[in-house]
Amino acid sequence: MSQPWLPLFILATSLLVAPLIFVLPERAWRARAVVNLSAAVLKLVLVALLVWGFYQGRDYSFGFTVVDGAAFFLQVDALGLMFAGLSALLWLATTVYAIGYLEDSPNRKRFFGFFSLCIASTVGIALAGNLFTFLLFYELLTLATYPLVVHRGHDKALQAGTIYLRYTLSGGLVLLLGVVALHALVGDIAFGQRERLADLGPEAHPMLTVLFLVLLLGLGVKAALVPLHGWLPRAMVAPAPVSALLHAVAVVKAGAFGIVRLVYDVYGISLVHELGLLMLLSVIATVTILYGSVKALSQQELKPRLAYSTVSQVSYIVLGISLFGPFGTIAGLVHLMHQGLMKVTLFYCAGNYAEELGIHRIDELDGAGRRMPMTSLAFTVGALGMIGLPPVAGFITKWYLGMGAVQAGMSWVIVVLMASSLLNAAYFLPILHRLWFRHGPAHGHGNWPEERNLGRFETSAWLLLPTAATTLFSILVGLLAGMTFSPLDLATFVATEEYLP
Amino acid sequence: MIERLGLSPLTIQAESMVAVWVVLGLPLLLGAVGGLVRPARGWPVAMAGLLPLLALAWLWRDVDSEAGRSWMIEIGSLALYWRINGLTLILIALTYLIGLASALYTPAYLREDPQREPRGQAWFWPLLGILISSLSLIWLAVDLLSLYFGLELMGLSAVGLMLLTGKVDALVAGLRYLLLALVGSLAFLLGVSLLLGAWGRLDLAGLARAVEPGAPLWVAVALLSAGLLLKAAAFPLHAWLAPVHASAWIPISALHAGLVVKASFFIALQLWLVLVPEATVAAWAIGGMAGAAVIWGGVMAWRAAKLKDVLAWSTVSQLGYLLLAFPLLIGTDSAVAALAWEGTWLQLAAHGLAKAAMFLAAGNLILATGEIRVAGLAGASRRFPLSLLSFGMAAISLVGLPPSMGFTAKWLLLHAALTGGHWPWLAVLGIGTLLSAAYVFRVFRYSFIEDAPEYEFHPVPWGMDAIALLLALSALLLGLAMEGPLDLLRGAGEGS
Amino acid sequence: MPPLEETLLAAGLLLLAALSLFDRHLVRACSWFVAFGLVVTLAWARLGLVWLALLELVLGAVLTGAFLFHALGVTPSVRRPRGFFAHWHDPVPLTWGLALERLLPALAVLAMLGVTLAALDDDSSGSLRPGGLGLLVLGLWAFALHRHLLRRLLAFNVIGTGIFLLLMSLVGPSAMPAAHGLVVIGLVVALVGTALGALLVRRIEALEWAHAAAPRADDPST
Repeated sequence: MSQPWLPLFILATSLLVAPLIFVLPERAWRARAVVNLSAAVLKLVLVALLVWGFYQGRDYSFGFTVVDGAAFFLQVDALGLMFAGLSALLWLATTVYAIGYLEDSPNRKRFFGFFSLCIASTVGIALAGNLFTFLLFYELLTLATYPLVVHRGHDKALQAGTIYLRYTLSGGLVLLLGVVALHALVGDIAFGQRERLADLGPEAHPMLTVLFLVLLLGLGVKAALVPLHGWLPRAMVAPAPVSALLHAVAVVKAGAFGIVRLVYDVYGISLVHELGLLMLLSVIATVTILYGSVKALSQQELKPRLAYSTVSQVSYIVLGISLFGPFGTIAGLVHLMHQGLMKVTLFYCAGNYAEELGIHRIDELDGAGRRMPMTSLAFTVGALGMIGLPPVAGFITKWYLGMGAVQAGMSWVIVVLMASSLLNAAYFLPILHRLWFRHGPAHGHGNWPEERNLGRFETSAWLLLPTAATTLFSILVGLLAGMTFSPLDLATFVATEEYLP
Repeated sequence: MIERLGLSPLTIQAESMVAVWVVLGLPLLLGAVGGLVRPARGWPVAMAGLLPLLALAWLWRDVDSEAGRSWMIEIGSLALYWRINGLTLILIALTYLIGLASALYTPAYLREDPQREPRGQAWFWPLLGILISSLSLIWLAVDLLSLYFGLELMGLSAVGLMLLTGKVDALVAGLRYLLLALVGSLAFLLGVSLLLGAWGRLDLAGLARAVEPGAPLWVAVALLSAGLLLKAAAFPLHAWLAPVHASAWIPISALHAGLVVKASFFIALQLWLVLVPEATVAAWAIGGMAGAAVIWGGVMAWRAAKLKDVLAWSTVSQLGYLLLAFPLLIGTDSAVAALAWEGTWLQLAAHGLAKAAMFLAAGNLILATGEIRVAGLAGASRRFPLSLLSFGMAAISLVGLPPSMGFTAKWLLLHAALTGGHWPWLAVLGIGTLLSAAYVFRVFRYSFIEDAPEYEFHPVPWGMDAIALLLALSALLLGLAMEGPLDLLRGAGEGS
Repeated sequence: MPPLEETLLAAGLLLLAALSLFDRHLVRACSWFVAFGLVVTLAWARLGLVWLALLELVLGAVLTGAFLFHALGVTPSVRRPRGFFAHWHDPVPLTWGLALERLLPALAVLAMLGVTLAALDDDSSGSLRPGGLGLLVLGLWAFALHRHLLRRLLAFNVIGTGIFLLLMSLVGPSAMPAAHGLVVIGLVVALVGTALGALLVRRIEALEWAHAAAPRADDPST
């Protein structure tokens, strides 16, 4: 049974909210909040429906021809569902957070409008059924995030916005060229039609290798692979909800998700393996992981440290898929979800510290655990997850990565994993130490940089609630990884499909 | 390609011409009425503007889009040839839409403009009517006499429209434009004379069969192209464009950039496809000009201090994309040509809509801030979100980002260049994209400044914003719905 | 061998064109142009193209002349030209840049034309063709080296006439109606162009006078 309207509805929930928000006057923040939240809830429900329907084996594909040989095509598969689910979940959380965070600040209308567009593009990326459609939403994402990055409108933000555009538009152009070239070579490939490229035969291999590298270059910019990562730490000037979303689902993940699609659904892992490109991928990922971690160590401010941590963590996904074998695949895909949940938690916490206490630097965090115990607890969970301690979600990734490395016969990856975990610990544990064990203003030593008492609890409930929710989810997906519908379950499903045809 | 232009000898000879005359004559008539009545409000213009659209719909229904129609009109012993097919229908529709948008915009604009010239308004409507009619004639005509007539009529009415501001700088720029238009028409006339002298006929279908390669043909085509490319502001004959726009009324700039320069391009491309369909080397030379236009226009737009100059230079740059049609269509194999054919007309339509929308939105911004510099837009995103949104959506199409028409056009052109292995044009398209992104986002960067000093400003009426917004939306959203029109383009001529 | 009468006509045309293009005194130049128009009328009439002759007389000689004199500000009562173009010196000195930018294209056009005419090897009887070519040469030269708008308009008209003569010398009897059509449209365009130019010159002058009279303080450009 084909139900093409469901993916369209899911897209429409956030796409049509954007004009509605633009029409609402700036003052009407209650109406805007209601519209935003109801759309986010609706989308979550629809995605849940989609997941349920998918397990029932329903067909949701929808498509029409745009130009000869290129079609707009939406389809639902396990991989897309994971990403769609993640973005729907985090959209709801981040909307709540953003309403609290941006209280009384100017240009909220513009912010929420583009915020909705941003999510619409993310969901579009998740549900895209071919490279052309993927490209459409990928570029739309660039456009929708620019106003969010420069939202503050000061010099630094504008500069960051310009750099962001320089990177992403160039990357988008390279991707466009690659996609057009692929179309010129074999025509429209729906995701999952791996045999199309494999059937070309060995004489096409040099061409395919070049194309893969071109596409990887285009996607690598958003995935912040070293040396294409320069925009990410600078984009930190954006408001906290934007940073959280940029890092957790929207931009960085769009790039990583694109690489996953490229490897599994366009080329097929066997072809990539045959072309010898998996080694290249794992080397790039290793370099990025180590470089990001080392750079994170040297950051004195909280958000840049988290940003470099993202550079490093996103490459776990790439590392996972570069390990030939089902365990590597599972590790990469599951990390797509897990890293999103944990990183968004960490950014919410950073935002909470900045809003409530005016803290931006790490050395100002002394004793904050006493003043803001909930936030600090959430931060601790996120940080431990990043390091890879059970039972938080990050542990599962590292476990499967290790198994994948063994399975692929690339034992050196385990060394990389160890090193990276040590580095993670080295840049997160001092923060935890400061939070819980150092004496600071909460113990009567000195003052917070800019303390505001935003709510009845340690900070505004709008800020605290999403933080708590994502923390809970990070623990739950780790604890309940064995259940149906869990990210691990979906990832296993994808991996089985990929390796056992 | 000749079949695609509707020049195939097998196209149906149609008897009834009433619909064609109505389509051609109605804008003239409405223009004359407008000159007498001088509407001060938008709604009468909207009412009147619907009439030509209805006439076009009538013609559309009449014309079998598969094969198209052609007519021979005999005036004494003189024979004129007109045809209509999917391509011309689309172009006429585009002309009417942009013309209607400009016409709707004008009354409000003249009310808002502090330096309006009351005498100019009486002239605006008749000249607009003449311009629209002559453009329609250019799309329809397939003999050089009608084309010459249409081209001159269009050129002179465009000059007239440019002068309506009545200020010294507008007049001086208009003077330059007039001289250039006259030089262009002399070159065109000389080329036509040579063709007529050598082969004794002016209808394109007949010429296509009659001409044989040799010095007369090449010289004639060179002269015709030089004249037309001068009028189309193709690099390096583009220097007149920016000063002309700087002082003209906004809706006239929109019309000019959206349509007038395209008409000369259209004639030139048509002539090449008919007369020298295998002149690969010359077409590559035009391609070189296209590359230079894209890059130079983009760089100048990036550096321009005034908002209108940004738009004018961006027109030079975008025309470069169109000029790529020459190397991609002339002497290439059918797969490449088929893609480039669709891409070219889509790019023409996309740029027409987007640039018109951009000019109207820029006009709103300029009227609201009273500033003509790009830097004067500081903080505009908070004060005039709607105008800026229109500007932005049009800009997306200009840069060629999805889901705009510009993107679809660029996709097709890129696809054509890749299929044919034409790497230089690929590079041109890529560099053009980055440069256009650079100059467009420079404008946005200013508009997002938050700590800007509060200039005095007064918002423009919502109607003006709405017109710009609608045009921009059509440029932005129609990109994904282009299969129908493209089918019409493909269908044109394949009935034979 | 073309008849003597026709040769004389062509020579007269060339002479008058040269005078109208290169006479330093503008009023005199415009008068020469009117005389030129009359001779062109004669030429058409001699070829048996009565309608064309009539049009040339009305549009090319009388109306164009009237607009040219209007641009100069010359009326039957006022004989001295006025206006701000007075300080423009023509012809501009010939520099390398100018030669490259203006003269070279003109020469290229002429060279291409020569090649074409040589290739179209029909019997070039009549002096229409050399006459037309000569007018083209004169007009292009003047257009390249003159800045003054009126001189350029004159040059434009002369080139136009040259093309008409050339066209008439090239076409056979079967293509005559089309050639007529082209010339008629060309004549109207030339007239409208000249008229627009003339009116523009006067308007700019008027505005410049008003501008000079007004105090400089409210000048937005300063």
